[in-house]
Amino acid sequence: MKKIILSLMIATASLMAFAQKKTSTSATVAFDARTAIDDLAKAENKTAIAAIDPSKNTVQFEAAIKNFNFSNPKIQEHFNQKTWLNSDEFPKATFSGVITSPSEVNFNKDGTYNVTVEGDLTIKGKTQKVKTPATIVVAGKTVKTNASFNIKLADFGVEGQPITAGKVSSEPKISVSAELN
Amino acid sequence: MLKNPKNKKILKWLLIAGGSLLLIGFVVYFYFATLSHDDTASLKADYTVEAIPFIKEFEKDYKTANKKYAEKIITVKGIVTSIEPADTTMNIKMADTATGSYLIFAFQDQHMTEAKKLKPGENVLIKGSCSDGIYSEILDAYSISFNRSTVEKN
Repeated sequence: MKKIILSLMIATASLMAFAQKKTSTSATVAFDARTAIDDLAKAENKTAIAAIDPSKNTVQFEAAIKNFNFSNPKIQEHFNQKTWLNSDEFPKATFSGVITSPSEVNFNKDGTYNVTVEGDLTIKGKTQKVKTPATIVVAGKTVKTNASFNIKLADFGVEGQPITAGKVSSEPKISVSAELN
Repeated sequence: MLKNPKNKKILKWLLIAGGSLLLIGFVVYFYFATLSHDDTASLKADYTVEAIPFIKEFEKDYKTANKKYAEKIITVKGIVTSIEPADTTMNIKMADTATGSYLIFAFQDQHMTEAKKLKPGENVLIKGSCSDGIYSEILDAYSISFNRSTVEKN
């Protein structure tokens, strides 16, 4: 009887541990707006915050705009200025969504799962719906996730001469990846 | 028309002026297109701070702290609380375990090797460009990020 109770307690504890929200403070969000005539508009933020809550099937990201690192400091300056991302007024981009196909992932079993995530992406104070395929890899207590999708800069109020001149893509690719514990 | 020596002279000057403008344009474009960040190790720190009191400054008023520290080169003295994988690289974290707020350092490529030698619990001096401090609703804590960091001393 004692053995059964002990086994049940261990099983409950491990299920509770896995049901807890998993987070990362070193998630990567990459922004790629390069075009055929200019290859400078590419940046990475490697200190984004991410969370997955297996009990609610929610996915969240927060990325500080000023922490997008471009190889060229001048481009980085333009990226943050008022006419572009206006990072002084809108310091972070956020995503808050859900896994729309929760039956396709088992957080208690190791494996690679292809899911669909849908939610609200907020950049420069404007929110748009985003729906993207994503991959979730469960390995022990760690969950790795990645997804890529394109956004329309105009939807977020980001417009300007470099876009019309074809030096910056009007629909950059956003890639996110995280190892959550 | 070009038989007129005066017209020949004008054409010659127009060609020289046009060529010079093209050359200047190319040099300016090349200058801006090939700009890169300085090696942080070669930069003088604007501030030298202790990790926990520095975090407290952001917790007290992060907007004022951002005005003071954002885009500044800062040397931070503190204890490594964790090392986190970040895509193909890694970040070093100094956290206030009481509040959950933290400093996080992403390293310059040329300084990644020395950063990889650090271990949790070590007392270190890290110099980097403070990019921003934000309040995270996910973590209910403040996150203060540094880019292009280098290990000063461990």
